[in-house]
Amino acid sequence: MASIARSALLKQATTASRMSSFATKPVVNNALRAAAFHTTSRRDLLPPLPQRVDGTINDPAPVPPTSPSHGSYHWTMDRLVAASLIPLTITPFAAGSLNPTLDAVLCATILIHSHTGFQNIIVDYIPKKRTPRARKIFTWGLNAATVVVGLALYEFETTDVGLTEAVKRVWTA
Amino acid sequence: MIAQRVGTTALRRVAGQPKTFFTANLARISATQTRQVATQKLTHDDATNLLAQQRLQRPVSPHLDIYDKKQTWFGGSIWQRFTGSALSGGLYAFGAAYLAAPLLGWHLESASIAAAFGALPFAVKGGLKFALAWPFAFHALNGVRHLVFDLGYGFAKRTVIKTGWYLWGASAVAGSYLAFFL
Amino acid sequence: MAALRSSSAAARVLAASSRPALRLQGASIRGFAQLADGAQHSTTAAEQPAKMKTFQIYRWNPDTPTEKPKMESYTIDLNKTGPMVLDALIRIKNEIDPTLTFRRSCREGICGSCAMNINGTNTLACLCRIPTDDNADTKIYPLPHTYVVKDLVPDLTLFYKQYKSIKPYLQRDTPAPDGKEYRQTKADRKKLDGLYECILCACCSTSCPSYWWNSEEYLGPAILLQSYRWLIDSRDERKAERMDALNNSMSLYRCHTILNCTRTCPKGLNPGLAIANIKKEMAF
Repeated sequence: MASIARSALLKQATTASRMSSFATKPVVNNALRAAAFHTTSRRDLLPPLPQRVDGTINDPAPVPPTSPSHGSYHWTMDRLVAASLIPLTITPFAAGSLNPTLDAVLCATILIHSHTGFQNIIVDYIPKKRTPRARKIFTWGLNAATVVVGLALYEFETTDVGLTEAVKRVWTA
Repeated sequence: MIAQRVGTTALRRVAGQPKTFFTANLARISATQTRQVATQKLTHDDATNLLAQQRLQRPVSPHLDIYDKKQTWFGGSIWQRFTGSALSGGLYAFGAAYLAAPLLGWHLESASIAAAFGALPFAVKGGLKFALAWPFAFHALNGVRHLVFDLGYGFAKRTVIKTGWYLWGASAVAGSYLAFFL
Repeated sequence: MAALRSSSAAARVLAASSRPALRLQGASIRGFAQLADGAQHSTTAAEQPAKMKTFQIYRWNPDTPTEKPKMESYTIDLNKTGPMVLDALIRIKNEIDPTLTFRRSCREGICGSCAMNINGTNTLACLCRIPTDDNADTKIYPLPHTYVVKDLVPDLTLFYKQYKSIKPYLQRDTPAPDGKEYRQTKADRKKLDGLYECILCACCSTSCPSYWWNSEEYLGPAILLQSYRWLIDSRDERKAERMDALNNSMSLYRCHTILNCTRTCPKGLNPGLAIANIKKEMAF
């Protein structure tokens, strides 16, 4: 399936690579933001807007609707994924490399972990209220990039030697 | 304000004394304490609008520039984000490149990468390995630290500060070990 | 920061000024910030060499809103000033520049009015000793990333609105069994220790980078600590509703355990731990 998918994916892949550079942008963005704060007096990467207060001073701030899938479930899943990475990264050090199934599990876990990590960066630094368009673009860019990288990892796992083995070979090269 | 209050107390105190003293000092006090204040009656709506207008002009106080650098720029938390983004960004870039490789005629199979890497001089090899191993070590160690935080442990102020510093040492050692002794 | 150039030209040195205008016959006058009154004053000053300290203070005047905020320096003699930063501020206001504006009330760390950023960390000016170990200027800013009303006075409207949104009061339907008061065990009461002491000075919230970037939606450490205070109160009967109100991506989960809050709290409380406990309670 991998090789079939490959030719069909070529066109997609080029767009995807573009998309993925897009999705990794928050990192760059972050660094730029840091640099901007550090070295220049311009604070214009999302400078705070002039102060506006909704309602009177006696109104409470609005309470957002409950949505555990973005709240507690999401948080718990994040921690479980992060925690499961501990044994998954220690095992290859102990055993040399992983068997294909565990290697695939490791890849999938890393992918989810990366995705939620980037998601957190986007939610933190690209406020929905302030920049709804950019937020949408980055969110979907990230989703697309994750799909692309997922495919790439699938390819790598099925046609190549697997992540841990590859790292081992490069490391000892 | 304080001065004003003191002034009035003093006035009260000397009120019983001869008039010349009172007037003499009154002149001195009023010379230093005069404040021209004009008040103006506003309706509730006008006052609210005026406040809203004034709010629009307020500056935002400085934050990243002035906050303790040990806590912002050298805090474990932001470096967790930096190292994580670097590692995952690298993975994403590699993934995209790997998919695009056949189209662009690149060779990103593990065998060719290993061969290319093996051909590099030792210093470059070590540098590259460390550049990968240190963020990994930092992210892993601090990740464990944060998981322990999430379980509700290690929140004492001293512990937070201490583990924050240990993290740098431990990640440097672990990163060097992974890069040079493995 | 280039915008905040320090106007050293404006530095006004005050060495031994006593206020002659207010020295009235027989009246013993003592300002808040002064260690001693007139008589003792001059003797101590004569014995000890002047210990001059420069304070750089953030200034912005709403009457001239187009002028950029700037840093203004004031130098005072520490021998004539109380030990705390608030003493210095009051002395500067009394004797050098009456236009300097800041909030203060209790001067003993219980009202939370004088919260500000001193030498890079948020704290209460009344609980913060003037650093004397070096000659470096002490820098004083308003609480970080707040809208400035004037000088060191931040606007905390949003902070209080957020406080109101968590319903910081006992919510209960069942009447007390004895018809008098809602009782709780000693163990349950103990859970509130370290939470009820919070004075809402906003030091922790304004030290939190997450709160800087997302203050509109993220509640921030102080409010979450208060929220936890009501969540674990055994007498409260709205625990589920309170947790539901926090269960979204922004209100609580923008906390990334940066822990600037725990490090800055002038009352020695632990907002970071309170938030971790909320997250733990809500985890499954």
